[in-house]
Amino acid sequence: MENTFETVRTLIANKLEIDKETITPDSVLTEIGLDSLDTFDIIFEAEDQFGIKVPTPKEEIKTVQDVANLLDQLLLEQSPSLQGQK
Amino acid sequence: MSNTRRVVITGMGIVSPLGNSVETFGLNLMQGVSGIKRLENDFSDQLEINIAASADIDGTAHFSKKELAVLDRVSQFALYAAQQALDNAGLDPTNINTDRTGCYLGTGMGGAASTEEGYHRLFRESQSRLKPFTVLMAMNNAAASHIAMHYGLGGPNITYTTACSSSAIAIGEASRQIAYGHCDTMLAGGSEALLTYGTIKAWEALRTLAKVDEQNPAASCKPFSADRSGLVLGEGAAMFVLESYESAIARGATIHAEIVGYGTANDASHITQPSVAGQARAMQAALDNAGLAPEQIDYINAHGTGTPLNDATETAAIKQVFGPHAYELAVSSTKSMHGHLMGAAGAVELVATTLALQAQLLPPTMHLQQPDPECDLHYVANHAAPQQVRYAMSNSFAFGGTGGVIILKKS
Repeated sequence: MENTFETVRTLIANKLEIDKETITPDSVLTEIGLDSLDTFDIIFEAEDQFGIKVPTPKEEIKTVQDVANLLDQLLLEQSPSLQGQK
Repeated sequence: MSNTRRVVITGMGIVSPLGNSVETFGLNLMQGVSGIKRLENDFSDQLEINIAASADIDGTAHFSKKELAVLDRVSQFALYAAQQALDNAGLDPTNINTDRTGCYLGTGMGGAASTEEGYHRLFRESQSRLKPFTVLMAMNNAAASHIAMHYGLGGPNITYTTACSSSAIAIGEASRQIAYGHCDTMLAGGSEALLTYGTIKAWEALRTLAKVDEQNPAASCKPFSADRSGLVLGEGAAMFVLESYESAIARGATIHAEIVGYGTANDASHITQPSVAGQARAMQAALDNAGLAPEQIDYINAHGTGTPLNDATETAAIKQVFGPHAYELAVSSTKSMHGHLMGAAGAVELVATTLALQAQLLPPTMHLQQPDPECDLHYVANHAAPQQVRYAMSNSFAFGGTGGVIILKKS
């Protein structure tokens, strides 16, 4: 789901005021300037955009792609419209 | 303060309804300009009393998006005032012993807007989640902590909350850290940003806010005048760089004034009603600490909230402490212009007191048109007055009864 990564990347670029092209799926969050609290803040904003609710993640969130994967998984579980398409 | 080190002010910074630099604040203060005006925002039409003294500052001009995401307005004020104070002192935090540098800050309500935004989301918008930073933005000690983090200040970091005397207490206690040799440099002051819908409504309910002067809303706060009707809420911050006299001299710093006395006492009587005995105790404690006779004080920057009770009580307390000299010294309330900055009031008014000493010019009590027999001192009514001032006192009193009084000496 390319769009989720794109959304996460835009949110991060906006927060850090950096060029979003510098953010790749493998970018490590702490290396680009996001600590764990900043990451929760990004997830919080993504929750609003996607209309989903993210429980405290079980797996370690390390890269930008990890954030996107977490959101994708929840989108499948929580979004009625997407479930209808399955 | 015998056997202790002398403490001097070498830096000042301010965010206030009268401007966001000490220079602008001073010019407006001495010219009697009022920063009180009608609020025009998304809730002002729902207020019974829609005037306040707000600070005009654009956070995005001073902080990055990432910083703003975690900085409540109260912390933005404090950080900006702290940067000004350090610049003014000519002090680079990377060149000082930061282990012996601390930050004491006073605030009444801390991150009031963040608290309120959280409640708004939960109770009004019926959402079930809050921003991850809500706790960190709302907590009272956030502002002082951000200053410590920003400049790497590893010394003591304490936030004082004694309502309207918070920052006077913070500055007074910070001066003791230097006087007793625990620290060499302190950033001290206060910050307040409580002009939110819920907070103003709570103040309305307390019935201590000034009625709007319909002819001239800017003149609604009328300390010591017979037609005074209450206080006007304000917001802002002021921060000071305090250091030992020896340190200031050694590095050739400009000394703005010396803190020669600090006293605090509690009314121990009523949660809102001030007491003559309590206020007098705090002023006497400061005089004793300074080792000064009452006759040596030339000017008092009064707490002077503009409420009927405070101004009469403070006048009586001044008479009790100063005796016949009460009629010789000058007293003024600058809240008539910048409003009541609550937890930041003592700090902002200590800037006004310092400027009075530097310029040998007393800031006026504005909008004092009707003499009150209960308030019969010399209040520097409506115009700044040139006067020789060697020692000046700044009074801060508070709901909860804690008074904080600081005495400055001209440098």
